[in-house]
Amino acid sequence: MDDWKQLLDRAACGLMQTDDSGTFLRANHVFCSWLGYAEDELVGRRRLQDLLTMGARIFHQTHWAPLLRIQGSVSEVKLQLVTRGGEAMPMVLNAIRREHAGGFVHDVAAFVARDRDRYEEELLQSRKRLEVMHALARDRALYAEQMIGIVSHDLRTPLGAIRLATELLASAGAVALDRAVPRIARAVERSNRLIADLLDFTQARVGSGISVTLAPVDVHRAVAEIVEDLRGTYPTRTLSHQTTGAGVAPLDENRLGQVIGNLVANAVAYGEPAAAITVTSALEDSTCTISVHNRGAPIPPPVAATIFEPMTRGTSDGSQARSVGLGLFIVREITRAHAGTAAVESSVEQGTTFRVVVPR
Amino acid sequence: MSLEKRNNVQVHGDGPRTMFFAHGFGCDLNMWRLLAQAFAKRYRTVLFDHVGSGASALSAYDRSKYASLQGYADDVNELVAAYATGPALFVGHSVSAMIGMLANLRAPALYAAQIMIGPSPCYINDGDYVGGFTRPDIDGLLTTLESNYLGWSSTMAPAIMGTPERPELAVELTNSFCRTDPEIAKQFARVTFLSDVRAALPELRAPTLILQCTEDLIAPVAVGQYMHRVLPDSTLTLIENVGHCPHLSAPSSSADAIRAFLTSRSL
Repeated sequence: MDDWKQLLDRAACGLMQTDDSGTFLRANHVFCSWLGYAEDELVGRRRLQDLLTMGARIFHQTHWAPLLRIQGSVSEVKLQLVTRGGEAMPMVLNAIRREHAGGFVHDVAAFVARDRDRYEEELLQSRKRLEVMHALARDRALYAEQMIGIVSHDLRTPLGAIRLATELLASAGAVALDRAVPRIARAVERSNRLIADLLDFTQARVGSGISVTLAPVDVHRAVAEIVEDLRGTYPTRTLSHQTTGAGVAPLDENRLGQVIGNLVANAVAYGEPAAAITVTSALEDSTCTISVHNRGAPIPPPVAATIFEPMTRGTSDGSQARSVGLGLFIVREITRAHAGTAAVESSVEQGTTFRVVVPR
Repeated sequence: MSLEKRNNVQVHGDGPRTMFFAHGFGCDLNMWRLLAQAFAKRYRTVLFDHVGSGASALSAYDRSKYASLQGYADDVNELVAAYATGPALFVGHSVSAMIGMLANLRAPALYAAQIMIGPSPCYINDGDYVGGFTRPDIDGLLTTLESNYLGWSSTMAPAIMGTPERPELAVELTNSFCRTDPEIAKQFARVTFLSDVRAALPELRAPTLILQCTEDLIAPVAVGQYMHRVLPDSTLTLIENVGHCPHLSAPSSSADAIRAFLTSRSL
């Protein structure tokens, strides 16, 4: 008998017996030493579930206890136990519920499962990594879809204009030159802009982001020149330029032109045609703000929430709106490359203001 | 799909009234085997599995529908409308007590009474309200679930060791009891333990029995007392029991308490 007691005490696993409510009736030396308790601190004083972490206790109540009642046994349940010192120790537990002396007892065997726990943790981590990679792959597939959408739809529009102009030339001959040549020139210009946008879009979506070369720029002077150029592009619209403060900011001047160009193109497409479009350059102590304001119907909040995202295929907007959508995405990416933020505010009373803020 | 197949509906017994039994998180209708038979003589009893648990049709599991308890409550109303003869008695364990309440609020005419075993309207402590848990506790449960489903094979059935005294149980239950798809189990755990239906309690007009265990980690006595205070027409009965499943560990006193309640309400 002493041999058996010793064998159980020194077994290669934790062994214990509890009553039907989980209170320890005995626990072998191995189990006690794993958890840092003396046997008499457990027997009659603690329940098995008292040694579990809270999450494991809920599992014990919702799975272990009913299983033991109905099946009479459970096995391979992995739970976190808490040592006397407060350290969590993962264990795999098997239990049998059996009749004994007019009542029921639970015979429980426990195995420390640190290695299994670590392995599972690695498995879970690699599953999470895979989920991230899967999301990335999905994103790239979406990018390809967007790209195809833009190329197949938006680039066709200027090509269509060129084809019409050449057909006109073919049928009407030299008398159509005056009408056809400017159309072709505009279509070529538009295609060029689209291709430049597409390259930026690609760089921002799948590359390392839009590249900028920062140099101190006299902001008001640069914006004034850009606005002057845009007046040439939109001769029928009124563009005003307002300034606040003065000085230089670290900017990429070509990219600044792109930002204002895209924002003004957006204001031209959606703003009230009769009202002026106002470009404001403002210099504060630590920031440089460029804003473009137009009057007109406000942007509905759900649209405003995603307005800087690249337009996806299947949008109901026309071709012009689609390329404008790409334009705002590029605005945001250029702003990000300047460590700045782009935002929009829109209401019936105030009209629509796109605001780009970059640090000085 | 038929409701019978979707919810693995099992009808027994006979009587002028129908008694529905809804299991809680972590188990299935086998939970009721000891309690339900005590009522099969006087009542028609209907046992079922929630979609996603036990032998329900997993193909009917819809993540958005079951993202809240209301999805389960809508199922319950469909079942009661289809299987009840007259206003029903609804026995819900744990989270199903709250599902029963939500179902009752949508269709009061379908129900004669609610019997809630170990209910809790909110598991997480909130200001003065003591639900018994904190958010990290619930996250710990989700980790435990994840860990145990990793350990189980793809059938998700916990391995059964020999139970020499009751071999019939092992064979019969190996592949059903507590079997859950791990993703469904995680969502059900979240929906259950992050639910807060306290605001709905004062609306419940049906006579309600709260069956509260003296020592229940999942639904502490204070929660039962809170529910008794807030529910408009409730009886609170304490059962001497350690644990969350008195219908398993103290089936006869559970049955006695339910009978006493039904008699007192002439049901």
